[in-house]
Amino acid sequence: MNEATIQSAGLDDGDVEGRTAALRLTGLHKQFGTKTAVDHVDLVVPQGSFFGLVGPNGAGKTTLLSMAVGLLRPDAGDSRVFGAGVWTDPAEAKALTGVLPDGLSMPERLTGRELLTFIGELRGINAGVLAGRVQELLDVMELGSAERTLVVDYSTGMRKKIGLATALLHGPRLLVLDEPFEAVDPVSAAALKAILNGFVAGGGSVVLSSHVMPLVEQLCDTVAIMARGQVVAAGPLGQVRGDATLEQTFVRLVGGDEHARKGLSWLAS
Amino acid sequence: MAGVLIRMKLAVIKNSMTGGRAAWMLVGAVFGLLFAAATIGLTLADGPHRSVVGDLLACVFVMWTLGWLIGPLWGGSAVLRADHFALLPVPRRKLAVGLLAAAFVGITTAVTAIGFLALVTYGARQGVVPALVAVPAAALQLVFVVLLSRVAYGLFGMVAASRAGAAITGVLFAAMLVLTQSGWMIVVAIMYSDILTTGFSSSMTTTLRAIPSSWGVVAVDAAGRGDWPLAIGAPAGLAVLCGLLLLIWSAELGNPRRARVTIRGSENHLPAHGGPLSGPTTAIVRKELRTWWRDPLRTTTAVVPIVWALGTVLLPLTFDARVLLPWAGPALALFAITSACNLYSQDGTALWQTLTIGTERADVRGRQWAYLIVFGPLAIALSVGFTWWSGYTWAWPWVAALVPALLGGGAGLIVYSSVFGLVPGPDAHKRPSNPLERADTTGQSTVLFWVGLLPAVPAVAVVLLGERLDLPWLTWVGLPVSVVTGVLVGRLLGSLAIGRLTSHGPDLLHTMRSGRPTAAARKAGAPKKGGLVAGLYWTFGPILLLPQGLIPLVFILTGVDAKSWFLAMYLPPAYGVTVAVTSMLGGLYLLARALRTTVNDRAEAASA
Repeated sequence: MNEATIQSAGLDDGDVEGRTAALRLTGLHKQFGTKTAVDHVDLVVPQGSFFGLVGPNGAGKTTLLSMAVGLLRPDAGDSRVFGAGVWTDPAEAKALTGVLPDGLSMPERLTGRELLTFIGELRGINAGVLAGRVQELLDVMELGSAERTLVVDYSTGMRKKIGLATALLHGPRLLVLDEPFEAVDPVSAAALKAILNGFVAGGGSVVLSSHVMPLVEQLCDTVAIMARGQVVAAGPLGQVRGDATLEQTFVRLVGGDEHARKGLSWLAS
Repeated sequence: MAGVLIRMKLAVIKNSMTGGRAAWMLVGAVFGLLFAAATIGLTLADGPHRSVVGDLLACVFVMWTLGWLIGPLWGGSAVLRADHFALLPVPRRKLAVGLLAAAFVGITTAVTAIGFLALVTYGARQGVVPALVAVPAAALQLVFVVLLSRVAYGLFGMVAASRAGAAITGVLFAAMLVLTQSGWMIVVAIMYSDILTTGFSSSMTTTLRAIPSSWGVVAVDAAGRGDWPLAIGAPAGLAVLCGLLLLIWSAELGNPRRARVTIRGSENHLPAHGGPLSGPTTAIVRKELRTWWRDPLRTTTAVVPIVWALGTVLLPLTFDARVLLPWAGPALALFAITSACNLYSQDGTALWQTLTIGTERADVRGRQWAYLIVFGPLAIALSVGFTWWSGYTWAWPWVAALVPALLGGGAGLIVYSSVFGLVPGPDAHKRPSNPLERADTTGQSTVLFWVGLLPAVPAVAVVLLGERLDLPWLTWVGLPVSVVTGVLVGRLLGSLAIGRLTSHGPDLLHTMRSGRPTAAARKAGAPKKGGLVAGLYWTFGPILLLPQGLIPLVFILTGVDAKSWFLAMYLPPAYGVTVAVTSMLGGLYLLARALRTTVNDRAEAASA
């Protein structure tokens, strides 16, 4: 990889191609006790891009995305959605964003339809429009068959889907998704991919985190690699991976552990 | 197998002996030892006739057994659970025996073993042979209660996730609270009755002795009479029962991943909305009402204050006193505050939805309205019904002055404490099958029990003034004053909660994300000590203040002669008053210290 790739989506202050960035993170920093979870990260997600954030477990992806959307207060730094500060103008930023966090609860004792309806009402969506959207989302996510099941009894994949549905309900311009494909079956994953690709084709921007490299290679046009709380590479997919696959680039940058490759002594033939 | 499991359990106990937990274990052990000593003391007492002692001892053994049945439901899951070992290639029977052996290692079992020594001392008073019969009988009795507790917990686990199970949990929990706080009323009642001289009725005696926990007493009595078939038969029966329980238990261990009871949502249609039901706040109200209806933890939260209020006001009926009846409604309104003081923690990280949509105001107001809808009508109905039942017409203005202020103030206090004093617990989606797993809010609840009374002070003052000046119309002014206070306090505290939630929402979310037991374990050092000390303050403060202070003082001043465990009652009146007043002051001091320690700890934890 050359030097230019590492910086391409990084610190440039001007907006990308003259347009306001969909998401601009400036110097975001978070410390938990003595551990630095996110270390002064700058990142720009251009409008209309499908942005993949990859990194090993514990790299700080979830912490970074939580701070980016206003679910975790940063120790330092700023996050702007289409120019609206997440911490200074939260109402505007929140109206533009759809979020799917990883592993958080939802109002658990509602059915999928009830959850979407209440969220829609809280978002101030007109009742007539809302009913149609809810039905369409339930159909697309194939959650209609579990009509009477409460969210607390949903499988992991169903939880992802209902979470994504709540993120899409109000027609956001930016989607921030933390591990959206984890534990989702291949059929549902295909449906989700179609939805996300359609969203980007319609001018929306998506940021998703994942540690499944082939998936990110298949979906995203822009990527950033995180390790130990820092962004070690960012830019268009082709530039970041160069001639190798994303996985090879990733392992080279993140540095796999020697022990992990050796295997277990008593299992070797 | 058994050896490994015992070492494992000891290691877990050692690692969990931290902070508040250690304090509670210590307090529990002390109370258990006191109860054990009282059990033995009962068999050595000179007073009552021997047959009466047998009956009383059987009664006490029933209480021990009930304690073993209820204790685990209260204290949460067992240290070592069978499903931890489900994948090991070990036969079920062997696993059951191993877990049983591990179950005998523990403070509760040791304390119970000491208590059951009472059977031996009881036998010794009848001769050498009955004492010898008592030894294996007491041992079997111990095995019996431990096994019974395990089996009952397993069976209970099957229904606990359902709403009925959650309601039962609430009833048991509230019953324990009522007995520990007001159980002295029963002791007073027994002392006033003539049971101690005449003994129980014969049918009562027969029934009592048919309960397996009494079979040890039956065997000892039979040995004393020389009735050998019964002296051998009763322990043998106990042994057979133990065998049966072991079989049931090992069968239960076989299918740990039982399908749990699933609570279903509504039919295939949209929840009603639009018209008067539109708007964000009503959306939250309807969401909250569904949650109150469907979440087993909320069911428990709702049932505890109801049963506590009913239990507390009905208990004095055991000695035919109706004096507490009118206060059922106020008691419910007050205790509901202590029960619902941690609403945001119950919903856990679902807070992210509120934060990403930015509906903090609607969320807080909606929860307040839902709280009033759940508890308000019931508190009013209980007030009207029970005051009417009591026949105390003087009580009406008092009740009317209390209920609205307590309800309105409560609606404010619950959201205030849920936001400012949030105690993280297991996250909402990680506790689908156990309403017993929840955050420990003992400290908050104790504070709120007293603070919750404050909103009623202005209205009560008005009624008091009316009574003093003998102006009936003025006593009824308490009602509007109470309504106004309730509305004001509810609105004010709600606004404070909204402000805090808006400014500190992400921090609260972070607390709930990270502040679960794993994070608590990491916070070693100072807070542990604070928790231990605060736990002791919270335990002994109320004891000194009420049963050792206020109550004996009232008894001395009104001339009631009931000694029970009231220290001051054993002294000459002059000294008694001094002791009671000192005790009250000491209790107040301890409560103040407890409050300070808890608040400081919380502040430290928040700033850390």
